[in-house]
Amino acid sequence: MLVNILVGFAIAFFGFVLQTSVAGINRKVVARLQKRYGPRWYQEFLDIFKLLSKRSVSHGWIFDFGVIMALGGIIATAMFMPLTSSIVAFQGYDNFFIFVYLLAVGMLGMAMSASGSGNPFASIGVMRALTTMLAYEVPFMIIVLTIINLSGSSSLTEIALFQQMAGNHWFIIALPLGGLVGLIALMGMLGKKPFETYIAPAEIASGPMVEYGGKQLGMLFIMHEITVFIEVSLFVHLFLGGAENIIMFLIKYIAVYTILNLVSNVNGRLKIDQVVVFFYKWPLFLAVVQAIIAIYFGWVV
Amino acid sequence: MANIELLILLVIGFAVLSYIITRLNAFIGAVVTIVATTIVFSALAYYGLSMNIDTTSFILPFMSFEQTYLGTYFVLIIVFIYMMVSFFHPYYVDHYRYKAAYHFLFLLSLAAVMGAFYSSNLVQLFFFFELIVWSTLFLIPMGKSKEAAVMYYGFSAFGSLAMFFGILVVYQATGFTSINALSLISGNQALMVLISFMLAGFAKLGAFPLHVWLPVAHSNAPHPFSPVLSGALVKLGAFISILALVRIAPATQLFEAIGLPFAQYAIAILGAITIVFGTLMAIKEDDAKKLLAYSSMSHGGYILVAFAVLDSVGFAGGLYHILAHALASAAAFMAIGAVARATGTTKMKELGGMIHKMPITYLVYLVAIISMAGIPPMGGFISKWLIFQTVINQGLIFIGIAVFFGSIGSFLYVFRPLAALFLGQELSVYQDKVKEAPILMLIPMIILTLMNMYTGILPSKIMGFINKVIRELGYPSVVLNGEQIVGYNGVLNPPLIAIVFGFGVVVAFIIFILLKKSRKVGLMDTYTAANFVHNEELLHYSVDFYAPLERLYEKHSTKMQEFYEKLAHKVKELGRFAKYLFMSHYVEVAVLWILTILIFVLWGEI
Repeated sequence: MLVNILVGFAIAFFGFVLQTSVAGINRKVVARLQKRYGPRWYQEFLDIFKLLSKRSVSHGWIFDFGVIMALGGIIATAMFMPLTSSIVAFQGYDNFFIFVYLLAVGMLGMAMSASGSGNPFASIGVMRALTTMLAYEVPFMIIVLTIINLSGSSSLTEIALFQQMAGNHWFIIALPLGGLVGLIALMGMLGKKPFETYIAPAEIASGPMVEYGGKQLGMLFIMHEITVFIEVSLFVHLFLGGAENIIMFLIKYIAVYTILNLVSNVNGRLKIDQVVVFFYKWPLFLAVVQAIIAIYFGWVV
Repeated sequence: MANIELLILLVIGFAVLSYIITRLNAFIGAVVTIVATTIVFSALAYYGLSMNIDTTSFILPFMSFEQTYLGTYFVLIIVFIYMMVSFFHPYYVDHYRYKAAYHFLFLLSLAAVMGAFYSSNLVQLFFFFELIVWSTLFLIPMGKSKEAAVMYYGFSAFGSLAMFFGILVVYQATGFTSINALSLISGNQALMVLISFMLAGFAKLGAFPLHVWLPVAHSNAPHPFSPVLSGALVKLGAFISILALVRIAPATQLFEAIGLPFAQYAIAILGAITIVFGTLMAIKEDDAKKLLAYSSMSHGGYILVAFAVLDSVGFAGGLYHILAHALASAAAFMAIGAVARATGTTKMKELGGMIHKMPITYLVYLVAIISMAGIPPMGGFISKWLIFQTVINQGLIFIGIAVFFGSIGSFLYVFRPLAALFLGQELSVYQDKVKEAPILMLIPMIILTLMNMYTGILPSKIMGFINKVIRELGYPSVVLNGEQIVGYNGVLNPPLIAIVFGFGVVVAFIIFILLKKSRKVGLMDTYTAANFVHNEELLHYSVDFYAPLERLYEKHSTKMQEFYEKLAHKVKELGRFAKYLFMSHYVEVAVLWILTILIFVLWGEI
């Protein structure tokens, strides 16, 4: 048990290091896109450590408690995440629903803390974040419903192994419409443009983050990096056949994140009601069509 | 051995006693309700869980009782909620005009609840249901409005009549009125009984399209009675629905692709509409109690979906959801009630920053909403997980949309009272006069919070009992492995989730505590983009919280209300017409009509 928890914690820590480095590299990639040099690849680490070492202000106990709950919830979620088919802390318990709902504890903690700061910008940001969540989650869940129904398991490693079996394709190929929906929903999850409405620095002063500084902000940065790690890994395991070994995992992970980042950088920002309408128009429609033809007709590539 | 009949009579005796005592001293009268509910719950829990209730009847005429696992499960949950709520009575009793009557009717409805779940006879069940409706009918207007009671009664009466019609059909077909006779009927009659019983279930559960009474009644009921309505009495509808769905098997056409009979699928779809409708209305609501009422409605939809899919994991999910929601919703309503007691309002736009004065109430509400939103490590997650299992396994796509929508939507609406009422700026109106709730009110809230956690971390005892219920209903039990629950496509290990979550929080706490201590600043000391704002209200974002989302469906949200208003208008017109015909000032006209009707009735006989 203790060993499993330590392995889980190691995975969470690995996820943090991985995503922070990848985010740094991506800052360089984006800079090249915009004909700049960009910061060094470890800039994100420097930012976080600087913040952690600074003295900050607090708006009351819920402000601090929410941050602890957010980071704790996200670390706990990441501890369940499998890296490859064999590197997983709690074999058999890496249930898909744990990721979606345990992630929500962290989100709730952050929302609570932000609202507790007493800044209306933060509340607006939380409102937008929750609304965005309502938008992207439903199409995504319908596709996951299809995947679980087809593979007969909701364990991420089992879903990955199912795709690796001979005769089965990756789900992004087997369910092409679903793969597309998954990608769009992942962009929503990561808060990438055009769905970054709830951060919107120029509009609502970074939304939920507006009141933070010092160690609270540093901890939320760590939380954010681990969240991204969880969400992208989820996509890798659900749609890209997981990974046989750690190298494959890294390749798939970096590819997915970089592609999404590139797509996001040529987009503008949608308004919040446009985000909702968008997700309930095309992705939901595609998801339902995909689910019907896959479950009721059994047409899977 | 406890005799159920004696227990019922004991509660009625306590009701009379509390009536008399309340006339003398309201506070002691309120304490009598606490004592009565505690005694009854202890007796039922001690003897009921081991199935040792004596059901022979020798005092009450025409009554026959039996104990079933299903009835015991319901009665324990409901009596528990009654017990918890009665702790609130001493602090609210001064708000009512008819204090003695309130306590009397409260205990009388408890007696009726016990009678209903131990009935072996449908007519007796109907009698006790009516007793519940009639006793609670007079409790609701003691809050704010009479209209709420009228609506509650109207819909309940409609449901009861539908059920009575069903009972008559059963009697005509089989010659019995016992509950077991439900499984004897077949064919068209079975379908008829199913529909009439489901109408009753929908009306009591507040499911679409018979939901209109629910938010009105919940929000206008006295603060201590709202948790009973939402956590306990609404579940009566679930009980009838289970009886109807499981005991009656009407032979309707099977949907090949889905593998469900048409009737069941239709009920599941209505449940799905209930979920979506309740969620959307809850998001829009400004009154905290009304918001929770709509959330009860949407949870009722989950219960319907869970039972309509007809398999053991679904049943387990539905039964667990009844428990989890009863605990969570009672705790949430009680927390809001405590705030309302301190401030005198439940409107979210008038409140803010309660956390600074009422931190324990805040934590109670927080745990309750975590459970309500189905987030681990609370009870609501386990029930939702079980319902997801069966929805996914059967490939119910359209129901899946509703189920997931309701689940994510619940994050939105439960967060609203949290942000608007407890968090944000501390409004100056309340700064001095608000205090934490008194200890006697905190006791039940803390017990409910601990129960919410217990149901979410250690489900094996409860699942064991639920398995007995499922076996009694004639389905195979859900596989349990220690504390783990085995579903169709995965294993859930709630204690592990709780441990890992605890570990994560400890790690985060260590990181937090090791770093430099932060300086504490006030809530007004925030970034306002270089504007000077001195007014707390202006910095508290709580009115129309989800305005951009609401705008998308605002136009359509009043349609059902309008429909029922039109219907009520038509009924009134009909009443006026009847009054015009029968109740005119001339006695001759009335006599003429009476004679005409008599002749018409006796036509065949003579």
